[in-house]
Amino acid sequence: MVAPARTPLRADRLRAVNVPHPVAVECDAEDRPRTVGDVMVETVLESWRIDDEWWRQSITRCYHEVILDGGKRVVLFEDVATGEWFAQMP
Amino acid sequence: MPQRPTSSLAACVWIPLFPLRCEEARREGLATHPTALLAPDLSRKLWQVSPLARHTGVRPGMTVSQAIGLCPTLRLCEPDPVHYDERFARLLAALNEVSPVVEPGELGLAYVGGDGLEGIYGTPEKIVEAIECVVRGTWCVRLGWGQGKFVSWVAASRAKPGESVIIPAGGEGQFLAAQPIAVLPLDPDTHRRLRQLGIRTLGALAALPEEAVTAQFGAVGRKLWRLAAGHTVEPVVGAVAPEPIVAALTFFTPVGERDLIARAIDQLIARALKDPRRIGWRVQAVRLVAEVEGGRSWLADILLKDPTADGARIAAPIRTRLEQAPPAGAVTRLVLEFTAFAPGTTELQLFARDDVAAARAGQQHPLESAAREIQQRLKRSCLYHVIEVQPWSRLPERRYALIDFEP
Repeated sequence: MVAPARTPLRADRLRAVNVPHPVAVECDAEDRPRTVGDVMVETVLESWRIDDEWWRQSITRCYHEVILDGGKRVVLFEDVATGEWFAQMP
Repeated sequence: MPQRPTSSLAACVWIPLFPLRCEEARREGLATHPTALLAPDLSRKLWQVSPLARHTGVRPGMTVSQAIGLCPTLRLCEPDPVHYDERFARLLAALNEVSPVVEPGELGLAYVGGDGLEGIYGTPEKIVEAIECVVRGTWCVRLGWGQGKFVSWVAASRAKPGESVIIPAGGEGQFLAAQPIAVLPLDPDTHRRLRQLGIRTLGALAALPEEAVTAQFGAVGRKLWRLAAGHTVEPVVGAVAPEPIVAALTFFTPVGERDLIARAIDQLIARALKDPRRIGWRVQAVRLVAEVEGGRSWLADILLKDPTADGARIAAPIRTRLEQAPPAGAVTRLVLEFTAFAPGTTELQLFARDDVAAARAGQQHPLESAAREIQQRLKRSCLYHVIEVQPWSRLPERRYALIDFEP
């Protein structure tokens, strides 16, 4: 990965990569994803939690790596502060 | 581009005062007299001095009058760089008979790759003997054998004329430790500073911590320390068979006017540039040989800092050389040779003869042109660089970002 030497960095010209996008998730009794949109979750492979930036606006996410019905692998997280769900590339 | 053959085992073939030895070889009786060779430029100063002349106090860089004052029997020779170059080329060709990996250094210094030669000749002693065989009779060489070019060079510099020094595998450290620091590629200031620090041998230098030497002398110091400690094994890099492009012009009547010579050079450059073998390559080294009336010759070896396919840029340093040190007489024939090339050209290779030539033409320039064209058509850039923003972040979207690719 090489930073372009001749291009001045301007914040308005930066595009974040791997931005999470909102998804509709239903959970089971143990608060684990059961469906993503209309698709059933087949397996939850792994779950982990991130607590970051607690010194300013705290970010807390509960991540779940799941296999959907049909075999697609998706990484989901729940924003603990708002209760919203997002999908993000692993 | 074909990969250049390399070899970590090296034999260094060294013929000190090579140009002077060439003169002695073609002029009988010269070797028994104090002799000096004049510099190939217009300075009329001494370039090389024979040991007999040196014994009388004559040194390179002296003016002729100073030298004659010190040694009235001194024999002076006009330089003939073309002749030296031809002799050196013949020496390299002879060494090529022993090993396919031969790397020329300065005039009279060459490295021969030794990897794999054990299967043909046997022990290092036998390999060195084979090298001696191809040069013996013509030259009195000093030969060094060891791991990497530096060790072999130091070994050759320790050898007596006509003899060889072989450093066995594993013995490099012990051998180097006893050598004076003068064998390192030092600039005078670093040499003085090392001596002021009381460092006289490579062993003394290698005994110091690498970090301390680096802190004192920077990157150069680190390089020197690694050489002294025997940690650097610089391989012999053979040349890919060169495919020089030659253009020549013979004058019906000898030409002395510089303008005419310069114009003829321009024509030769244009002709050589049009050669189909040049497609996809920029010229890096140019050699111009002028045959001068009276059997003399004039040579200009130009190494272009920035390889180019532009005739004017190739001609400029040749013209400068012509102004500063013109041929010492009327020119009868001019031979221009492109001797080294760099891949890629600044021209877009739309009509490259094949995909290999197009690949050689380099990737950057066509990419930049394509990006500019896309930007002009779509009014926005559709190509991006990926840049690191917070690669350590635990939040994936904070790690990298895209930014417009602007050529």
